[in-house]
Formats: sequence, C-alpha cells, structure tokens
Amino acid sequence: MKKITILTFAILGLGLVAFTNHGGGIYKTNTGNINFFSHTSLEDITADNHKVKTAFDATSGKIQFSALIKDFEFPKALMQEHFNENYMESTKFPKSTFSGTIENMAVVKTTVDGIYTSTVSGKLTIKDVTKDVSTVGKFTVKGGVVNTKATFTINPEDYNIDIPKTVSGKISREIKITVDADYRHAH
Amino acid sequence: MKKPIILIVLFLIIGSVLYAYKMYNKPHTDVVTTDAAETVSAEDIFAAFDNDEAAAMLKYADKVIALEGTLLSKDLSNELEPQIVLDGNGYDGYIRCGFKPEMLPKIIALGENNPISIKGICVGMNGSEELDLLADKDVVLSNCTLID
Repeated sequence: MKKITILTFAILGLGLVAFTNHGGGIYKTNTGNINFFSHTSLEDITADNHKVKTAFDATSGKIQFSALIKDFEFPKALMQEHFNENYMESTKFPKSTFSGTIENMAVVKTTVDGIYTSTVSGKLTIKDVTKDVSTVGKFTVKGGVVNTKATFTINPEDYNIDIPKTVSGKISREIKITVDADYRHAH
Repeated sequence: MKKPIILIVLFLIIGSVLYAYKMYNKPHTDVVTTDAAETVSAEDIFAAFDNDEAAAMLKYADKVIALEGTLLSKDLSNELEPQIVLDGNGYDGYIRCGFKPEMLPKIIALGENNPISIKGICVGMNGSEELDLLADKDVVLSNCTLID
C-alpha cells in the first residue's frame, strides 16, 4: 500500500514538473504577421498581412494558422487587385490555412525566457490545394510572450496559381513566405 | 495625308502610356472619402458570414462597409496595425477592425463596452471549424476609420 502511495506521488510530482517546465495550454494571437516576397530581375513584389489568426498547443505541439487572402496589402493598389482577382481568386478561395506540428515541443519552454528552435511541419492549403511544408521555427520566449519566426518558400504553380506568360518574368517561382507572430497564453 | 495619321498614332501611343502609368500608380481606396456601400450592424454582418460565407463574400468583400456595434476590446499587440474587436454573436463570433498606425491615439481613447461606428473595407471571415484551435470566427475589416 505504501509503495503504491509513493509511486502515485512520484508520478504526480513528475507530471507537475513536466507541466511547469513546458507551460502547457494554448498560446494564441489574432495579430500575427505574414509577409510574402517575390524577387525577379524585373520586379520585386511584397505584401503584408497583420491580422493572421494562429495558435499552438504547448503540450502536444499542434500549431495552426489561418490568413485571409484579401488582407494582404501591397504597396500598389493595382498589384493587390491583380493578386486577388487574377491569381488567388480570393472571393472564391478567401483563406489560406496551415495545420501542423512543432516537432520538438519539449525543447520549447514557453514559461522560461530564452531562444529555442524546432522543426515545424504540416499541411499548407492555398486555393483548396494542400501540400506538405516543413521549416525551422525560431521561438523567442520573453516575459510570457512567445515570438515565433519562420521562413519557407513555395512555388505558385504547386497551388494552381496560374501566371500568364505576359507577366511570368515579373513573378518568381520561389515565393518567400515569412511568418512572425507574438503568441500569448489564451485564458 | 500622312502627317495626320502619324499624329493620331502618336497621340494614341502617348495616351495609352499615360493611362497605363496612371493605372499602375493608382492609389488604394481612401476609406475616409469613400461613401459606404452598405451600412449594417455588427450582428447582422457576422450572421451573414456565419450562415453563408460564399454569399456574404460576394455581397460585402472589397467594399467599404459602415458598421455599428459594441466595442468589446482593443487589441494593440501588433504596432503595425492597431485593432479593435466588436461583438458579433455574443459568444465566439467577433468583428475585427484594423487601423493604420497613425490612428493609435484615437483607438487608445475609445471606451470598451460602448457603442461604436466604424467604416472599413471588408476582407472576409477568418477562423475555421476544421482548425480546432482557431474555431472562433472574426469578420475582418481593414483600413478602418472611426465615424463620429
């Protein structure tokens, strides 16, 4: 009987230590940033979205993003129009989503200030086309805020984004996507 | 006879170039000076998107919309775009409005739980039932301005 009691306390104690170290719970923001950048010798194209909805589960490492396509703002109104109407068909396909995993969640201590890295991989959906993507995320924990930065590239053709021949020289086949979000513990 | 033709062609070329240049540099919609295409309550626009997102996109997206609702909270966590949140359905539905950074002092001065009128460009509804961590929904407006 005594052995079982000691064992139970030991397991509870270990669980508590694990919980304290990793923080646990859901971290969320509705104000994440996503930038995309296309570079060619003819033209650089960049656009920003500052209202990206994203959250991760600090216990399981599950991470999700949802970004509205029409919320990407370009320096030039005409570029924004072409992006939405001709390439992304954003009235028909209003969102892009990502659902994946922070693979080494155990190393990212959300309650201990510091800088941690982990591979993040999952499924990216654009225009109803879903592809696997993987990148290394940098997690900076400071004062209860978990900042996450990650960069990866996509090829527009993989997501049924048709680029007419007349402008193909101006749009890269390697679009750089940069994610930068400050997560806070969701109550 | 040849001269007038050359002049007409030249005129057309110059006209086309000027038009293309003007289009290339046309400014973004100025929400302050643009009349709202629709005036709607926060609850009604949220219900429209929640019931039929595709139909609501056709009706509201890309248009300047005037909204009346209750200010639930201010979200100043991204200095690049201060935001406010209006009640959408009294539960897990909201209206999220983004402002230019220069609007920050006016946003800070707003009182929470008060009625508010804003104008902005509707860009859709964010959140998804397929993503369990992001199941709450926001109808999103950008480039917002406050209506006095």
